[in-house]
Amino acid sequence: MSADAHDDHDHHDPPFWRKYIFSTDHKVIGLQYGFMALAFLAFGFFLMMVMRWSIAFPDRPVPMLADLPWFQAWLDDEGKVTGELYNMFGAMHGTIMVFLGVVPLAFGAFGNYVTPLQIGAPDMAFPRLNMASFWSFFIGGVLMFVSFFLPSGAAKVGWTNYSPLATTTDLHFGDLFWTGQTQWLVGMVFLITSSLLGAVNFITTIINLRCRGMTWMRMPFFVWAMLVTGFLLLLAFPPLEVAAIMQLMDRLVGTSFFVPTGLNVNGTPFIAAGGGSPLLYQHLFWFLGHPEVYVLILPAIAIVAEIIPCNTRKPLWGYRTMVYAVMVLGFLSFIVWAHHMYMTGMGPAVSTFFQTTTVLISVPSVILITSLLISMWGGSIRFNVPMLFATAFIPMFGFGGLTGLPLAFNLPDLHLHDTYYVIGHFHYVVAPGTIFGLFAGIYHWFPKHTGRMMSSKLGHWHFWPSLLFMNGIFLPMFFQGMAGFHRRAFDGGKAYEQIASQIFMEDGVFARAFQSLVGRTDEVLIAMGRVTAEGAADHAIYLIDLNIVTSFSAWALAIFQAPFIINLFWSAYFGKKVKDDNPWDATTMEWATPTPPPHGNFTEEPVAYRDPYEYSVPDADEDFTPQFEPDPSEEAAPASPEPVESEIDSESTT
Amino acid sequence: MADSLSPEELAKHKKSYTAVGIALLVFTCITLALGIWPPLDLGVPGATWEDVVIGLTVAGVKASLVALIFMHLNHEKSLIYKFLLFTFFFFLGLMFLTLFALWDPIREAIDSYYTRG
Amino acid sequence: MEIPYEVTARRDTGLYNAKIGIWLFLASEVMLFGGLFSAYVFLRVGVIDGVDTPWPLGLDVHKQFVWIGFVNTIVLIASSVFVVFAWVSLKERNYQRFQIWMVAVVLCAAAFMVNKFIEYKNKLTEHHGIKLVDNSVMEGKIVHDTEKIKFAADSLNVPLQGGLPAFLGDFEGDFPAFKAVYVGKEEEGKEPVKIEKSGSSAGDFADWFYEARRQVAEDLAEERKKLRDAKKEGKTYQMKPVPTKGTVTPAAGEGGESEPFVLRPDNRKMVNYSRSEDGPDKLNYIDAVTVDGKVLADKIEYELHEINLQQVPITKQDSAKLWEIFESQGHGYVKDEFMEHQAERIQELRTKFKDKPIPAKVMQSAFVNLIEAHLHEPKTGEKKGGGDVHGEKAKVNPAADDGHDKKDDHGDGHHGHYTVLIDRGDVKFFGNHGPRYGNYYAIYFTMTALHGLHVVGGALVLAYFLIFGKKLYLKNPEHLANRVEVGGLFWHFVDLVWIFLFPIMYLL
Ligand code: HEM
Ligand SMILES: [Cu+2]
Repeated sequence: MSADAHDDHDHHDPPFWRKYIFSTDHKVIGLQYGFMALAFLAFGFFLMMVMRWSIAFPDRPVPMLADLPWFQAWLDDEGKVTGELYNMFGAMHGTIMVFLGVVPLAFGAFGNYVTPLQIGAPDMAFPRLNMASFWSFFIGGVLMFVSFFLPSGAAKVGWTNYSPLATTTDLHFGDLFWTGQTQWLVGMVFLITSSLLGAVNFITTIINLRCRGMTWMRMPFFVWAMLVTGFLLLLAFPPLEVAAIMQLMDRLVGTSFFVPTGLNVNGTPFIAAGGGSPLLYQHLFWFLGHPEVYVLILPAIAIVAEIIPCNTRKPLWGYRTMVYAVMVLGFLSFIVWAHHMYMTGMGPAVSTFFQTTTVLISVPSVILITSLLISMWGGSIRFNVPMLFATAFIPMFGFGGLTGLPLAFNLPDLHLHDTYYVIGHFHYVVAPGTIFGLFAGIYHWFPKHTGRMMSSKLGHWHFWPSLLFMNGIFLPMFFQGMAGFHRRAFDGGKAYEQIASQIFMEDGVFARAFQSLVGRTDEVLIAMGRVTAEGAADHAIYLIDLNIVTSFSAWALAIFQAPFIINLFWSAYFGKKVKDDNPWDATTMEWATPTPPPHGNFTEEPVAYRDPYEYSVPDADEDFTPQFEPDPSEEAAPASPEPVESEIDSESTT
Repeated sequence: MADSLSPEELAKHKKSYTAVGIALLVFTCITLALGIWPPLDLGVPGATWEDVVIGLTVAGVKASLVALIFMHLNHEKSLIYKFLLFTFFFFLGLMFLTLFALWDPIREAIDSYYTRG
Repeated sequence: MEIPYEVTARRDTGLYNAKIGIWLFLASEVMLFGGLFSAYVFLRVGVIDGVDTPWPLGLDVHKQFVWIGFVNTIVLIASSVFVVFAWVSLKERNYQRFQIWMVAVVLCAAAFMVNKFIEYKNKLTEHHGIKLVDNSVMEGKIVHDTEKIKFAADSLNVPLQGGLPAFLGDFEGDFPAFKAVYVGKEEEGKEPVKIEKSGSSAGDFADWFYEARRQVAEDLAEERKKLRDAKKEGKTYQMKPVPTKGTVTPAAGEGGESEPFVLRPDNRKMVNYSRSEDGPDKLNYIDAVTVDGKVLADKIEYELHEINLQQVPITKQDSAKLWEIFESQGHGYVKDEFMEHQAERIQELRTKFKDKPIPAKVMQSAFVNLIEAHLHEPKTGEKKGGGDVHGEKAKVNPAADDGHDKKDDHGDGHHGHYTVLIDRGDVKFFGNHGPRYGNYYAIYFTMTALHGLHVVGGALVLAYFLIFGKKLYLKNPEHLANRVEVGGLFWHFVDLVWIFLFPIMYLL
């Protein structure tokens, strides 16, 4: 980028709508993604709070909502949540959190904002495509949101949208196109398109727009993770798009891709040619579904991997190993998908194959997490707010990952599948895991854009209660799940109470551990009048009370997001000003830009002189030596003006 | 592709493009004949596995001609081969691992054990 | 600000941005079509013999489309060649030649789409299949638009919840004059609310519907609030019933007399209908609208082209439902001839397979060919050429030239076809050869339509280069050449997909 070309563009400011709405600047697009994703996260959270009411207090009317006239159609006569509403909120909670919350925040917002800065690029390789990708996402999001207000309500059959239930639900509406179930599919097609365009853009940018000296192995780990995430989106999303199109055909045109022969709906034969396969839908869905969970987690791991070296003032331990691990992880994540389908009766050989690959994939995951942990060893750690979140991320992700292992083996999974255990497992990964990682990222990069620091006091008020209540929500789920609580019971298992699994309490080792933990025995319960002597065998009754713990934790968690929201807006205007462009004394390229980075990012041509995490280099003046700081010992140009061909051949994969 | 192609190179390209075009037409006729001309309809009339194998092989040859010559995959940069290789691998996974679920050898063995009585 | 490597290649990767971009995009396209191909294979090998609809590729009704597919393959291959030549012309800096080649490409794309349109239209309007309750299948054509029933409606009962009812699109002719009434809940000492409206358009109806729906919602909310309040105070409360249905009746039109609505309900939206001796006939919609009136016509008038007993177990073929229908309409001899031919054909297969068992699939597909060849002959039964299966092509549209007057002479052969009347009660499933008709048709339409969209999209982009390329060419010819290369790559990919679609959709 030549200096005069730059001036040329800075002179006349583009009009408002070009600068902030239909912008092609990767930073503005990143922020657009970010705000929209945060709004959706809040909305998804609201849906969940209603669901938690129904689970904890299935026999009481929902507070507040019960008095809204337009909301009445979804409640029963007494103002209690109906199963239909619960299903709708549940399905949309999952969809919104995954596709409209975390992915856009992690990949869309952080990826867009940070990646070009970290590789020293002026913008994305295809800025207009980037804009198209955001607007496609926007349309998809709006469709999903609007579907709540249709006569049919939004989609109701779970975020996985399994056929044939998804095909036959709400078919009785005259206008099939404007039913929630159909709009879910249409919305997904837009969201997928957005992700595909985004992925093409990211990968091209990372491959071709690295600045001088930014060789592959000098890229910060964040960029590597974005590259792998890009490939996951690029290659895993199309099969889901196929599934969405086929399901659309099933609903609107009347094909039977996923409708088996002889299907009965509510006792009447479903009129269709038949011969379709519900299993096919699950294959296509999970072919995306599993890579998708890595799309959710990789950006968070990567953010944490940026923050930990910065705040321990030590290089990232095992950078190269982590890079290889993340590539292996990306690769393996394409061949494990059917571990979600053990219960479909696929057959033992298939299950064995997928069980093997699933166990294999935990190896690179563990490498990543261990490297992060070791990175902290012996450092002089600054426990500022981003670091708190990053530190908490590690054990939380560990919980999530380790509880995945029993699920990976098909025998235990037969018991655990579709119970709260699975919910606990993946929420540990995505909620106190990914979401904490994303919070860490916000606290970390906030000063880059605003020139002000976020308040540390409010940050602590945000972090500690969040940590506490996150665990309050998800830890009980493991116990409930092992006792056989089904994941989709809208009354929290009340109706199921009497028949809940007895295996758990009678001879399970967890059972005994738990029993001694809570210290309540049958006799106590009988004395309390909670059970009769005959009913005392139904021990799952202990666990039903945990519903209330979980629900109160969830609402408390909501309250303690307030400090964050206040912090976000207040600090943008009144926060402490940063000392310079590099407030954290970090080493990566993004801190070389002015604050905030202008259109085109760098004021002078960026050059990467060294590896990304040169903290506490012996004999250096300071405890950090940024990538962009010219090296006095090498007077001439840096080691390699442009990364050289041989290096690429030996080191790039994917 | 290099930015500068000499006229001779271009002429060579043109020749190969024409040749490939003709080859593709010939293969298409073969495919058609396989499908509808009785003497070439192998095995019994209708689609049998021989027809499928031969038909798909011919299609595969045609497709590789298009990919190699028209899409210049016979001399492309290593980076592109790399990610196409991965794509191809995952494509195979998608095609065959899904089918695996229908042809589970262990289950088939169990089934046949019980049906044999 | 300028993005680097837009035109020139970066030294270490050797690629310019758009080239990486398009290859990545194509990689994702490979997975997209890969998903569809895998669905194709999955569905096809997953067909359970004797339960699911078999793949119809053996049928002659199908084989007529091979030529269309063939021509389209040729067209696409030619266009692929033209695109590379267009690119070479740019490399030679010969803009005029580039234009010529590019025009040829766009014309090819247009030809492809026209061909496709013809094929779609033919499948959708000229072929209907009927599967009877015992899975015997007839292929042919529904005549006189008899696929929908005709129902004279005297009054409709419309639930006032959810969205607009489905019957709105089912009137024969214009939207009729109607009168709609909703009477609200009863309360002591008060007249019930009454919402009435007359009109003659969908808009009028919607006005009434929404107003009445609002009323229902409000009344319900009120009752529920009373219930909850009572509960809070520890009392009980008996909710008053709130009527949730309105009535719609025909209104007097211009002529003064009110005439029943004539409904032609879409088969997917109609749940069932019933006749009644004493009282009105009933029609039930999927959205719980119920209709009183009279069934005017419900028999399907069908021109038979071929019989397909693939899904009927061999032991039951003798008593297939089909024969009953023929018998009752004076075509009993069809069965005898069918059975005779079947025996002959099985004998043929026996000799061919010698002592080996005949695979079930071969056996079944053989039935269809045989039956069809037979029925293409005139009714009198004179055989020509001994029933050569492969030699004879089905006529694309044998009855198009005499579409009228069918009513009078149904039961008699037309060009070797029979016309029969079929009771809906005997039918399990019927439809044109559209995507609904079976998984082959579903995947055929989905894949070719998606592929068609790619053709249109690619052609638009290439046409854009053709029309607006001059400016860029003058500024930087290499940039245009790059763009054409990238557009060409996409175009070749589209061709490549078709190379596989042609055999799997038309031949194998
Ligand atoms: C590290 C090793 C991991 C293993 C071995 C593992 C294993 C599994 C298995 C076998 C299931 C299916 C359980 C069932 O439905 O019965 C599952 C569900 C799930 N996992 Fe994991 N997982 C791992 C990591 C992750 C990560 C990193 C994420 C997300 C960021 C994640 C998200 C999910 C989600 C969302 C589900 C539930 C999907 C649903 O049914 O709705 N998992 N996991
Ligand atoms: Cu998984």
